[in-house]
Amino acid sequence: MSRTIAPRRRFSVKPYLFLLPMLVFAVGFVYYPFLKTCLQSVSTVNFRGEITGFAGFDNFAYLFSRREFSIALENTVKLMAINVPITVVITLGLAWLCSRPHPLHSVYETMFSLPMVVSMASISLIFKVLLNPSVGWLNYALGLDIGWYEDRHTAMSGILLLTIWMGIGFNFLLFLSAFRSLPPDMLGSAALDGAGKFRTLIRIQLPLISPTVLYVVCTNMIQAMMTNGPILILTQGGPSRSTTTLIYLMYTSGYASSNYSLAAAVSMAAFALTLLFSLLLFGMEKRKVHYQ
Amino acid sequence: MKSKKGEWTLGALAVCLGCLVLFPLFYGLMGAFKSPAEFVAWPPTVLPRSFGYLKNFETVFTQLPMLRYFWNTLVVSVFSTVIKLAIALLAAYAFVYFDFAGKKALFFLLLGTMMLPPDTLTITNYQTVSHLGLLDTYLGIGIVSFVGASQMFMLRQHFLSSPKPIREAAQMDGCGDVRFIAFILTPMSMPLLLTLFLQAFVIQWNAYLWPLLVTNTNEMRTVQIGITMLTTLEGTNYETVLAGAAVALIPAVLLFLFLRKAITRTMSGGAIVG
Repeated sequence: MSRTIAPRRRFSVKPYLFLLPMLVFAVGFVYYPFLKTCLQSVSTVNFRGEITGFAGFDNFAYLFSRREFSIALENTVKLMAINVPITVVITLGLAWLCSRPHPLHSVYETMFSLPMVVSMASISLIFKVLLNPSVGWLNYALGLDIGWYEDRHTAMSGILLLTIWMGIGFNFLLFLSAFRSLPPDMLGSAALDGAGKFRTLIRIQLPLISPTVLYVVCTNMIQAMMTNGPILILTQGGPSRSTTTLIYLMYTSGYASSNYSLAAAVSMAAFALTLLFSLLLFGMEKRKVHYQ
Repeated sequence: MKSKKGEWTLGALAVCLGCLVLFPLFYGLMGAFKSPAEFVAWPPTVLPRSFGYLKNFETVFTQLPMLRYFWNTLVVSVFSTVIKLAIALLAAYAFVYFDFAGKKALFFLLLGTMMLPPDTLTITNYQTVSHLGLLDTYLGIGIVSFVGASQMFMLRQHFLSSPKPIREAAQMDGCGDVRFIAFILTPMSMPLLLTLFLQAFVIQWNAYLWPLLVTNTNEMRTVQIGITMLTTLEGTNYETVLAGAAVALIPAVLLFLFLRKAITRTMSGGAIVG
């Protein structure tokens, strides 16, 4: 942060004025709500959102004792554990396929990255119809007899299909630009040494792009943790709570039932999990990730 | 690539995979042209019998004030993105061209906003917006997305890499900060600003949960909420829902097809910011 283009001068109020708008909104709509959530999670809160007393860890104790919470936690972790590795493998594979120059490259690059601008609401509605057991095309085409969003055993798989699809575009682009930034002569010399394509990928390219892999894993874990929209639109947490995620639980307890202290406790739990996973990953980064 | 044949195999494979990825969108768009009888017929098909059946699109626009929703979404997306970029530009300017006490701390305070997922803050932000009396207003929908830490970071990187003497020369000519930002810095950063604008615009256009929370009246809804309302309205069915989904998709997809390079330009930068 010492990099600057200005010479050192005497105190001036000017830079603070330029920073003021961003600071106001950062405090007002990020830090203030965060602190308020922390505070509400250890307080009793009335239906208007006003704090009425100190509750200690009662909210958490109540939350952890509820079956709803353990189900939501399990669903969320399951979603993360399946979504993230599949997304990484698919998008890494696609980006690797596209990393070499090719006359058609702009055609298929557009195709693979297009999902990033598709709205969650639109694609959720399309999946709702595509996976519908009576009129949808997917079951018919694959000869399946699956209830998807209407069956509690398969609803989560349906949500996963959708969230994996939604993650393709952006992560593909990140991996593609990581592959493209590798020095081409290094790959050439690997080929001269007789290393096959897969060997080159595993031994040379992957270690070099590991910072991007880490970034993608991290952001996707947080995103999977925050899965809520498709559930609101497609399943409302059901059938029989099989797709209730933490954030969906926060949404229903906070917004629908005005139980703000419970909602705050759920969101603190979600936040703590996010932080835990990020710290774990960054701990790994110190030992495994290779920076050029 | 060793041989011509290998190159074409690779291309064909990639295009096939691309079609597979885009299939759900294709299926949705095709389904929007089907009549109710055609839709429930067995076996289900992907392609409609003809593209002459437009009643589903008509229903989307007559059952709901869809044009109004488009207008709402456009207004919110444009103004909140412009404000977001303006605020980020001012902050980046302060960080690059000034030295001041607490600079490092403030910089990390602003970047730190990226660490708190907005979804966990929705309930408390809803309380704030409700107290401010901003429910059901354009400002209420846009206000939570005014902070753009990644935009601020990218603009800062851009200013740092621009030639240093420009500002000194401008100052010597008596050009103040505001005029420097408006007439020199902004035009100079136009390509980056355009990219950042398009990215943020598309994200705001597609926003769902927050606009759903803060709008109560029918006229203030956005397109994304409108189309999901089709699933519960009377007189609508699967094909109407698909027509709604297609209508909501078209602006962002067209923007992407024409300006893909501009939209995706700073993506790798985002990965470095972390």
